[in-house]
Amino acid sequence: MNQLPFSQLNNLSASLKCHVRHSQPMAIKALIYYLLFLPFGMQGKAFELFDSVQVHGFASQAMFLTSGNNMFGPSISNPGFDFTELGINGSWLPLPNLRLSMQILSRRDGAWSNGSPVLDFGLMDYSYNFTSDYRLGIRAGRVRQPYGLYNDTRDVAFTRPSILLPQSIYYEGTRDFTISADGLLAYGEIRKPWGNLNLELFGGYARTDNKETQYSFIQQTYYGTLASDPGFVGRLSYETYDGALRLALSGAYTSMRYKPNPSGDNLPRGNIGFDPILISAQYNTEKWTFSSEYSYNFFSNSGFGPPLDFSTNGESYYFQAAYRFAPKWELMGRYEAYYPNVDDESGKAFHQKYGQPAYTQFAKILTLGLRYDITPWMMVRAEYDYTNGTALLTPQSTLNAQTGNPDYFNTVQYWNTFGFLVSFRF
Amino acid sequence: MKQNKSGQLPCCGGNFIALCICCLVLFFSNYTAQAEEVFVTVKRGTPATVPTSRYVLSAIFGMRLTTWPDGSAIRVFVLPDDNHTHSLFCKQILQIFPHQLRTAWDRLVYSGTGQAPEVLGSELELRTRIANTPGAIGYLTKENLDESVAILPVE
Repeated sequence: MNQLPFSQLNNLSASLKCHVRHSQPMAIKALIYYLLFLPFGMQGKAFELFDSVQVHGFASQAMFLTSGNNMFGPSISNPGFDFTELGINGSWLPLPNLRLSMQILSRRDGAWSNGSPVLDFGLMDYSYNFTSDYRLGIRAGRVRQPYGLYNDTRDVAFTRPSILLPQSIYYEGTRDFTISADGLLAYGEIRKPWGNLNLELFGGYARTDNKETQYSFIQQTYYGTLASDPGFVGRLSYETYDGALRLALSGAYTSMRYKPNPSGDNLPRGNIGFDPILISAQYNTEKWTFSSEYSYNFFSNSGFGPPLDFSTNGESYYFQAAYRFAPKWELMGRYEAYYPNVDDESGKAFHQKYGQPAYTQFAKILTLGLRYDITPWMMVRAEYDYTNGTALLTPQSTLNAQTGNPDYFNTVQYWNTFGFLVSFRF
Repeated sequence: MKQNKSGQLPCCGGNFIALCICCLVLFFSNYTAQAEEVFVTVKRGTPATVPTSRYVLSAIFGMRLTTWPDGSAIRVFVLPDDNHTHSLFCKQILQIFPHQLRTAWDRLVYSGTGQAPEVLGSELELRTRIANTPGAIGYLTKENLDESVAILPVE
C-alpha cells in the first residue's frame, strides 16, 4: 500500500474509533489496543494491522437471594454475590481469510473458583468462500464447542435470555466440560435464498480436569484426576437468511478416564461416558422471540464398582418466550424440566436404593425475568425462579462445611430464587 | 414560533401566505421522510458490480461473507443499532430487525468466530469511510448520496 503517513494516521484513528459504542471512554479503549497489540505493531506495518484488529470485552455481576437452598455461595436470607464474569477478547485478520482470536476469562461461581484468568478460546480460523454461496473452513486450537443455541456465547450476559442460561440444557456444573475444548473444528456453510445451512464438526479433548466436572459425574471428592479421551461434537443448523427461524441438531460423543492418585486413592481407575443429543428451535419477530430445546443423553460409569457403576438415560427441555414490549425493555418467561434418569422421573427408586431424597432426581423450574438496556453497553436484569427439585443445583451450592462435599440431605425440595444482574460490554 | 405566526395571522396577509408555504414545506418534508429510501453503497471500483441478492447482502452485513468475489476483504460500515437510518436499512433492504443483526454479531465476536462491523456516528462519516476504504460497503439515504460512492443494486 502506498499510503502517505497522514492517511495512515487517519486509518489508525478511524480504526480506534470503530467499535466504540456511544459514550465508551476512548482513552481506555486506546490503552487496551496499545497494551494488547504493541507487540504486533513493533514488527512494522503497524497501522495496516490496526485496521483488522478488534477488541471486545464484558463484565457481569449477579446477586442471588434464595429460600431453602444456596445458589453458588451462601444466599439464603442474605443476598450472595458469588457470581462474577470478566472477559476480554481480541481478533486479528492478517489475511482476508485468516483470523486469529483469543478470549481471556475470569470467573467466580462459588467456593471452587477464585477468578484466576483462563484461556477461554484461542484459535486460528481459515475459511474459503468458493462463491458467495459456499464456504468451507477450519479452526484449530481451543475452540467453542458447537452445541445448541447458546453455548457459543454462554459467558456473555448480553447474549443470554436470563441471568443464567436455562440450566436444564446448559447446567453450570458441567460448564467447563461443555464450553470450549482443544482440537480441530471443520465447518461448511451453504447460503441460498431459502436459508443458510451450517455444519460444524469438532474432534478433540474436553476440559475435564476441574472440580465441577468431577463432582458432576462421580459425585464426590477424590484424589485423582479426570482426563478426557478424544471426543466429538457436531452441530447441523439451518437458519432463514433473515434469522427469523433457527433450527439445530447437536450431538456429542465424549469419554473420560478417572486416573487414581498414585500415592493412594479410595477410587479405582474407571471410565465415564456422556453422549447427549440436542434439538433446538427458535423463532424471532420484531417483538417476540420463542425458543425451545430438547435433550436426551446417555450416561455411563464403569470400572469403579458399586454404587458408582451404573448407566442411565436422561432427558431435559425448556420452553421460553421473550417479549420486547418497549424499546430497551424485555420480559421473559420460561418453563424447564430435567430428569437424570428417564426410568425414575419421580426419584422413588433412587430414594429406596440409596436413601437420598427423591427430589434430587428431578428439577422443574418456572422463571420470570425483566431486562432493561440502559445503554447499548450497560444492561440490568431482575429475575424470579420457582424450583421444584434439586437435580440442577450445582455441587458447589450444596457444600457441607465439615466434609467439603456436596450434601443433598441438607437441601429442600421447593425453593425460590430472586436474582439481579448488572452487565457491561464493549 | 408557530404561536407567534398564528398570532399574526389576522392582521397580515403576507405572513399568512408565508405560513401556508411553511406548512406545505413541512407537509412535503414529512412526506419525503416517510418515503425515505436507503441505498446500499460501496466504494467506487469495488469488484461487486452485478446486482446483489438480498440473502448475499444478509451474509455480508451478518459478517459471515467476508470477501468479495476477487478474494479481497469486505469492510462493513454501519450506524448504531438505534439509529433511524440503520433501522430503515435493516427493514427495507435486509428485511430483518436490528436486534437480530446485533445477536448475529455478538455470536461471532464472543465466540471467536468472526468480527463485528465498524459502527460510525453519522451518515456523513459513513459516506467518507465508504469512499476512502478499499472493499467498503455500507448504506446511505438518498439525500446523503453523492459522487464519491457507488450504489450497489439489490435484486
